[in-house]
Amino acid sequence: MKSKLPHIFECWLIVAAIVIASSFLFGCANSKHAATLAELPAEKLAFENDSVPTTPPSTSAAAAAESKSEVTVRGTRQSFPEGIAPPPHPSTSPEFFELFSKRAGPTRSRNGYARINQALDRGTPLSDEEIWVIARGGDVVQHRDDDSPGSGALLAKVEQKQIPMPLKHTDVRANVSGYIGDVEVTQQFHNPYSSKIEAVYIFPLPHNAAVNEFIMTIGDRRIRGIIRERKEAEEIYQEAKRQGYVASLLTEERPNIFTQFVANIEPGQEIDVNIKYLHTLSYVDGWYEFVFPMVVGPRFNPAGMTEGVGTVARGKQAASGQKTEVSYLAPDEQTAHNISLSVNVDAGVKIEEFECKSHEIIHEISSPEHLTVSLNPGDSLPNRDFILRYRVAGEQIKSSLLTHKDERGGFFSLMLFPPKELATLPRQPMEMVFVIDCSGSMYGRPIAQAKAAVERGLSLLEAGDTFQVISFSMSASKFGDKPVEATRANAKRAISYVESLNGEGGTMMIEGIKAALDFPHDSERLRFVCFLTDGYIGNEAEILSEIRKRLGPSRIFSFGIGSAVNRYLIEHMGKTGRGAVAFLGPNDEAAQIMEDFFERISHPALTDVRINWGGMRVAETFPGQLPDLFVGRPLVVTGRFRGDADTPIRFSGNAGGEKLQFEVPVTTTGAATNNGLASIWARMKIAELAEQSIYEPNPSWAGQIKKVALDYSLMSSFTAFIAVDSTRHTAGAEGTTVPVSVPVPEGVKYETTVPGE
Amino acid sequence: MRLWTPTFSRSLPFSFRFNVLTLLTLLTLLTLFFRPATLCAQQPASEEGRSRFSAVDIYVDSKNAPLAAYQIEFSATNGVAKIVGIEGGDSAAFREPPFYDGKAIQHDRVIIAAFNTASADKLPSGKTRIATIHLQVVGDQPPQFELKLQVAANPDGNRISAEATFEERKSE
Repeated sequence: MKSKLPHIFECWLIVAAIVIASSFLFGCANSKHAATLAELPAEKLAFENDSVPTTPPSTSAAAAAESKSEVTVRGTRQSFPEGIAPPPHPSTSPEFFELFSKRAGPTRSRNGYARINQALDRGTPLSDEEIWVIARGGDVVQHRDDDSPGSGALLAKVEQKQIPMPLKHTDVRANVSGYIGDVEVTQQFHNPYSSKIEAVYIFPLPHNAAVNEFIMTIGDRRIRGIIRERKEAEEIYQEAKRQGYVASLLTEERPNIFTQFVANIEPGQEIDVNIKYLHTLSYVDGWYEFVFPMVVGPRFNPAGMTEGVGTVARGKQAASGQKTEVSYLAPDEQTAHNISLSVNVDAGVKIEEFECKSHEIIHEISSPEHLTVSLNPGDSLPNRDFILRYRVAGEQIKSSLLTHKDERGGFFSLMLFPPKELATLPRQPMEMVFVIDCSGSMYGRPIAQAKAAVERGLSLLEAGDTFQVISFSMSASKFGDKPVEATRANAKRAISYVESLNGEGGTMMIEGIKAALDFPHDSERLRFVCFLTDGYIGNEAEILSEIRKRLGPSRIFSFGIGSAVNRYLIEHMGKTGRGAVAFLGPNDEAAQIMEDFFERISHPALTDVRINWGGMRVAETFPGQLPDLFVGRPLVVTGRFRGDADTPIRFSGNAGGEKLQFEVPVTTTGAATNNGLASIWARMKIAELAEQSIYEPNPSWAGQIKKVALDYSLMSSFTAFIAVDSTRHTAGAEGTTVPVSVPVPEGVKYETTVPGE
Repeated sequence: MRLWTPTFSRSLPFSFRFNVLTLLTLLTLLTLFFRPATLCAQQPASEEGRSRFSAVDIYVDSKNAPLAAYQIEFSATNGVAKIVGIEGGDSAAFREPPFYDGKAIQHDRVIIAAFNTASADKLPSGKTRIATIHLQVVGDQPPQFELKLQVAANPDGNRISAEATFEERKSE
């Protein structure tokens, strides 16, 4: 026995050493590749503060707003001390210097012409680039179903697990002047755990948002982020994170999806990230619409794709195999993250009425032209788009011009309304193709809305029209082998077919596109293809490319169905398909929206639109290819210009076999100004280049996008904002990565969209 | 009871076994000693000389005059420093991080300007930190900087005589 003791000791020592070394080696290997909380249930981590603040105050945001209130005057550049040039920031420098110069010396007064034009142009609407919006859905605020995941009702009645999350609160403050929105978003991160973390949050913004400011706030210190090439910014961030510095990085994954990284948040520490963007509001029939998206919907990615936007359940990080991945809370989970939002509207003309059907709001009308709307604190769950609409005085706003000049040159935005003559011309017979998304994310209310809309559409067809109904999820199926005559009997059979459809499976939208566009065109009829979908896919570029390739003489009208649809895809399907878009919320009147659509297409479009700019020397106008003009659809052209010219602008086109020509009496001298125009123009240029890169792949597009984005300090898929606090090392390791999990959008069924175990 | 023991422990000489045991013991102790404290997210120690982060404080000395506005140009001239953030100054009048020129920053040159319309008694005078530039310095070569005060003004909008300086701050 004595002789065996050393051997026993040796044996256990070796086994212990192997076990410890293995645990160390494998543990570190894991951390190296994925130092995330994927392996550890988040609720098992110690956290210090799990309370659910109802309306958390934003100290830093409030401080920012206070300081910002000093600089709210808008206008042109005024006198300034000799030798001081205006700071080059495009959106703020004129107001910055105007305010200073007001204090420092006399200001130049605007001439009367400018004042008149400003009054007119502040009321001038601008659509989402050149997208024509048929109708905008707005959800009537109703009590949500008890089984609606993440709904307020569920929180009240069903016991939910409280999940600690590094994103505590989002605060949104928007100022709308005329048709340009200036939005400030503050994301309040904190560390509720007992060790250091990196927070990663994937969030939406409007796809036409020109993101041009980024500030990281630590305590009372505010560090302005720097725009850099994305790869370089990512490398700087990784290095700062590795060395223990607090750093933040903002990247763009899609034009409407962004990722916020915040590294080295120490236990108990709070870090705010402040993002500012400019965007144009859309306009429909005298109504402006301000939209703030709050959550990214769960996306489907075709097999083999890795650059998509993945969907995973909380705690299943890296399970989707996609580069970007959104983590969703289960129906029995909740976090403390909530949102506050306020919109301050200065319409420039009298606001006749307003509505917000998506949320409960509190409002204040300080004058006929001014409206302030805030989110009711009781309705602060960020699980659907916020939609505010307001109608301004006058039946139809006049075509007009908005300009801005700075050291980079002149920028303009021109809105043209189609001629009234279009409304008197009858329509041609049509070939109507309804394409219904029957994937899992459409299960329940969304597909019911889609069915109701299609059924109404079928009843509105006239003798001489033909139709087809196509449904798709993982594959496509059709009502008929070819389009059928729009008879009462055929419509009845089609309604039965539509009634039988259900939402399940993936979203192979490409199958729907092939089925809708790959058959011979009937030259006697105009082909309209109506897509009814939530757009929850990760392969947007492929879809848009296929639409462009297969479109032919067809026109695509996309209907976004749901409370937080993929607006980028829906709107670009309409744009690429030379048609229009509509949005249908869970509680909208589906039949009414389809009737509005039929009203629009019951008159011929003005095609082959051309603009004669007269004496105005314009360049780089967007959209590059002018769309067809339908009744009620304004055309917005944004570009650069040189010099001043008072000659009228003329535009022409063909409608119903006739050539029509119109004149718009606008001038560049004395036109109203908006210093956000340069950023908006640059964002449109980036969007146009990005679209070209989809359709005509060429390495030079990336360089061109990068250059515009850097020159105008804008976010793009090739640029990113980075901010590092280099004054202090945080203690210890770089920390664990914690993705911010979000609720699925209201009305979307978690069980049919988020992959399970 | 028969215990399994590795073959080499019987066949190898004691001194060799002793060395193996010592090595294993040391390995165990070292492993335990350097094991990360919590979530095992520790990366290798910083690669010295590869890159470091530092902050440069920018000061403007307006002597006795209240400083209401300034515009400076700061550049990293020898290509080893990248600007990774811009912070505001000490005085409440210049606490907000100043704006920069998007084109100049691509060449790690920053033109920043700020103003404040407060009354003279609320504005700083003498030497005051107006901004801090956060930098990543790549490589072993020390960075070289250039600073130009383009203009400084008092609350009346008149140019004043002032001096701009900078100091590299030690990281905490």
